[in-house]
Amino acid sequence: MTQTTDLLTAAPPPAARKPRATPRSRHPYRTALSTARARTGLVLVGLVVLAGLLAPLLAGHGPTDQSGQSLAGPGTPGHLLGTDDLGRDLLSRVLYGIRTDLGIIAVAVPAGAALGCLLALVAAAHPVADTVVQRVFDLLLAFPGLILALAVTAILGPGRIPVVLVIALAEVPVFGRLLRGGVLVQREREYVTAARVGGGSGSRVLVRHILPNAADPLVVQIAVSLTVAVFIEGAMSFLGVGVRPPQPTLGAVLSQSMPYLAQAPQFAAGPLITVTALVLGLSLIAEALNREIRR
Amino acid sequence: MRSYLLRRLPSALLVLVAASFVIFTILRLVPGDPATALAGPDADAATVAAIRERLGLDAPLLSQYAHWIGSLLKGDLGPSYAIGGQTADLIGDGLGATTELTVAALLFVIVLGTAFGVLGATSRSRWLTGAVRVVTTAALAVPPFVSGVLLVLVFAVALPVLPPGGRVAFLTAPDLAAQYLVLPALCLALPSAAVLGRYLKDGIERGLAEDYIRTATAAGIPPRRLLWRHTLPNALPPVVTLLGMQVGNLLGGAVLVEAIFAWPGLGQLAEQGLQRRDYPVVQDLLLLLVAVFVLVQLLTDLVYAWLDPRIRWE
Amino acid sequence: MTELYPLTPSGPSRRSTLRAAGGGALLLGLGLAGCRSAVSDTSSAPQGASAEPRRGGVLNVAVNADFTPALLFAQSGQSLQQRLIYNTLTRYDDRLHPKPELATSWTYAKDGRSITLRLRDDVTFHNGRKFTADDVIFAVKNLQNPLRAAQLRSTAATVTGFEKRGDHELVLKLAHPVNNLFDLFEFMIIADRESVEDAVAGKKFIGTGPFQLKKWSPGSGLSLIRNDAYWQPGRPYLDGVELRVIAQADALISSLRSGQSQLTFDAPGKSLGAVKSDARLTISDYDTGAGAVYLGVNTTVAPLNDRTVRQALAWAVDRDRLVAQTLGGYGLASAAPWPKSSPAYSEANRTHYTHDPAKARELLKSAGHSRLEFPMLHIALPGETAIAESIQYDLKQVGVHVTLQPTDGATAQKKLISQGMPALWSLGHGFAQVQPSTLAVSAYPFNEAKNTSKFRSAAYTKVVREAWTEPETDTAAANALHQKISRILLDEAFLIDLVVRGQLQVSAAGLHGVTLNKFSYLNLDNAYLV
Repeated sequence: MTQTTDLLTAAPPPAARKPRATPRSRHPYRTALSTARARTGLVLVGLVVLAGLLAPLLAGHGPTDQSGQSLAGPGTPGHLLGTDDLGRDLLSRVLYGIRTDLGIIAVAVPAGAALGCLLALVAAAHPVADTVVQRVFDLLLAFPGLILALAVTAILGPGRIPVVLVIALAEVPVFGRLLRGGVLVQREREYVTAARVGGGSGSRVLVRHILPNAADPLVVQIAVSLTVAVFIEGAMSFLGVGVRPPQPTLGAVLSQSMPYLAQAPQFAAGPLITVTALVLGLSLIAEALNREIRR
Repeated sequence: MRSYLLRRLPSALLVLVAASFVIFTILRLVPGDPATALAGPDADAATVAAIRERLGLDAPLLSQYAHWIGSLLKGDLGPSYAIGGQTADLIGDGLGATTELTVAALLFVIVLGTAFGVLGATSRSRWLTGAVRVVTTAALAVPPFVSGVLLVLVFAVALPVLPPGGRVAFLTAPDLAAQYLVLPALCLALPSAAVLGRYLKDGIERGLAEDYIRTATAAGIPPRRLLWRHTLPNALPPVVTLLGMQVGNLLGGAVLVEAIFAWPGLGQLAEQGLQRRDYPVVQDLLLLLVAVFVLVQLLTDLVYAWLDPRIRWE
Repeated sequence: MTELYPLTPSGPSRRSTLRAAGGGALLLGLGLAGCRSAVSDTSSAPQGASAEPRRGGVLNVAVNADFTPALLFAQSGQSLQQRLIYNTLTRYDDRLHPKPELATSWTYAKDGRSITLRLRDDVTFHNGRKFTADDVIFAVKNLQNPLRAAQLRSTAATVTGFEKRGDHELVLKLAHPVNNLFDLFEFMIIADRESVEDAVAGKKFIGTGPFQLKKWSPGSGLSLIRNDAYWQPGRPYLDGVELRVIAQADALISSLRSGQSQLTFDAPGKSLGAVKSDARLTISDYDTGAGAVYLGVNTTVAPLNDRTVRQALAWAVDRDRLVAQTLGGYGLASAAPWPKSSPAYSEANRTHYTHDPAKARELLKSAGHSRLEFPMLHIALPGETAIAESIQYDLKQVGVHVTLQPTDGATAQKKLISQGMPALWSLGHGFAQVQPSTLAVSAYPFNEAKNTSKFRSAAYTKVVREAWTEPETDTAAANALHQKISRILLDEAFLIDLVVRGQLQVSAAGLHGVTLNKFSYLNLDNAYLV
């Protein structure tokens, strides 16, 4: 379920992609990020990130402090969003939840991306390595992520590490395949042949010429993968294998609210709106970048 | 085409062998063992030891692995440890249920995704394109476990028109089975349908901008015909790759969706098997999922090559 | 875009909408326009409303886990089917007085070393075979087999001789007097002895009960149909019972709220708010208490080897808040394990420890501690996590900082029975609802010989053995011994009881006549749907 958004960037088929146009006045990323679409995305993501970073200043209560007020409604004095079933302040649960989530995805996604890219570069070096790496990717893709999550958490015990590991492992083949595809396309281009003829060594050509040109889809994928990571964290919390309680995460607060959805919908509203804003913002940015790159 | 297949097969087998090692190792690393899970909350050490012996868990790991692979090759998966019944029956039943759910979800993905894509790209109504945008965004931004619980609350509890969960086998009563299928399949399909829709919209928009379409339009060929005969088919090959990958996603997502809708499929079986340390069930099931994935990949590549004449069987 | 590709209003946009929608409608229409609705199909009550018992109908019971055939003769996660397929020899009333089931009457020998049972002679198994004294002999021997993992094995093992007097009278000879023999009779199901290996292998379940097996789908449910040859005339009223496994708590509640199921005992505390607000559902509390929430303490981890520290923990937890916030308001805050129906119950024991953080801090200080840190294991399910979080917060208020260790059930089980628990753990226990001595000889956490807390005490062992072998007739002596057990449990605080909580029944308003026995075996002999 969680990897569906990866495919936003699977398009278009390599043959349809035109080589980057002759030098433009502005870097295409800047052009992309100045569109209305991207700006909306940046504002949304910025707001959520800022709220998470400033959690200690904004929250009036500790995220794990309990009180006798169970399931208080929004607007209760001292509890702007109300309280959860154990009487914890929902606003601080959500704010600190963002913080935890950011801490996880900011580590897991880059780590998975780096490992995936490294493997893809290794694959580019030799046909045998290519076969091995491809099969590793297949293997990683073949395991249903959430079953893997259950097993990994049972082995390692609960906490941040299994969550980070599961997210990173899910991202490795995504980035790896993307970069490998890009490298294959770029390798056939005239400029690469030119560089080779010009006497560049294989690895030098790869790093200096091919990589920068194959990197565009990766940038888009990072934005997409961040949203996937938020979902994986949520699903793991829902299945009881998330970050160690009572630490809040967006997924944990959301899944704790599920039994009360009919009775106290405000419990779910805070984390749900936050997740939606974050995911929407990231996908707007991804879309804007994607359009500009393909132009 | 045969040589293409022959070339792909060894590495597919390699993936399966590697997967079997990984699965076996992971399971043995998970703490707790089937014997204590089976012995009950108040068992003594002697009881646990007797059960371990009966299950063959006192044998060295390598011989346990050999025993497992042997059972696979013989085609006799043996009894399950904890859940009960024969492993093959459990997996067979679960596979039937999950296949049903996945196929229904795939239909929803194709139908809804095409609708989103075509409407989004060709409708002139701002209201309609806006609506499509909102729906696809929501489908992507709301975690499936939330949308699942919401769907149940709305369509099974508040307006009781559909059952909240459970399953009736499709072959025994198709009319009832379809009703049990709608909510879980929809929940499973929504994110993928949204992805497909956005993707198709992109492809159609780009296709419509191609020179030959403009020429054809100028020559008076009806736009409808152009869309269904030319633009859409041209946008298809990458869509097939995407659908192939989505099958994997659907299978993965089934763990969550099956839990929310009490759908007795492979996801539920895997979770139960893992919880109760039912080694044979989990091992065989995971290996089966890997095999299905490998097969789907192979098929996707074949279909892709068949649809896209630029790729040759080389 | 529209400039490049002008679409007429009647162009593809509308048609493509219709075509695309058509596919979806086809799938939906297949169900909705079909002749049957899966929603009304599930409300299977017989036609007509009346308060009188009515024949017919199939009862759907939602359960959160399937039963394990290998544990058929033990108390495990799921016991509802026991009294549906099988019968027991006797059944307790609410005050622990045995009533006849397959045994019609019984006489204890004066010395308490043997008991004569007279059995029904009109009972047949589902396969047509007659029920005789040999089936009882087999049932007792079966529980003596360690492979069956029966909690009451120690009691079954005291039966050392059998003397048959015809087919329907039997004398059981005991190695020594025991006072929980009727716990055994409440617990022990009478299964067909010829197919018992098939039963634990999950192939055949043949008993004498009101329902017989139609189909068992491992992992997803049990289908039972009426036993037309049941020995109680005219019973059962129901045509069948379906036990459906719905593991996920929200899904289980939805199944009840939508009318798909009519009965459950697995509604978690968090979901009771939604149940209470639903007029179609009723909650009944079996306050005889088949279970309790407790905080376990590993007495070999310093400084928990100090009784004062353990007592401080017992004062620190706010039991009433636990009941209100995590258990949906159902349950009895209690420092002792006993429910109100137990002979060992007393108000003084129940309130021996109450919420008194100041006293807890004082005790910790007197033991020389101001800040302590411990890990605490709990099961990683939503309800259990909430309980653990609540305990964690209370302990933090007295300076005991707890790190939670959410764990899956199988790992927790292994740690429980292999004495591998960390410093603290929060779990549930049973067995306090029957004879008090059963708790201390049968339930592992309390076992005097070997328990999870690694607590050993000659005094505890002595008083437990005395209570267990005290003949059942002498109530005054028994009560004195029960009080001694309670005192040791409370003073030593190696298991800190928090909330006594019986089974909670959530049922559709139209369902009547449901009862549970002391071991949570579902009895539907007199149940009917209106």
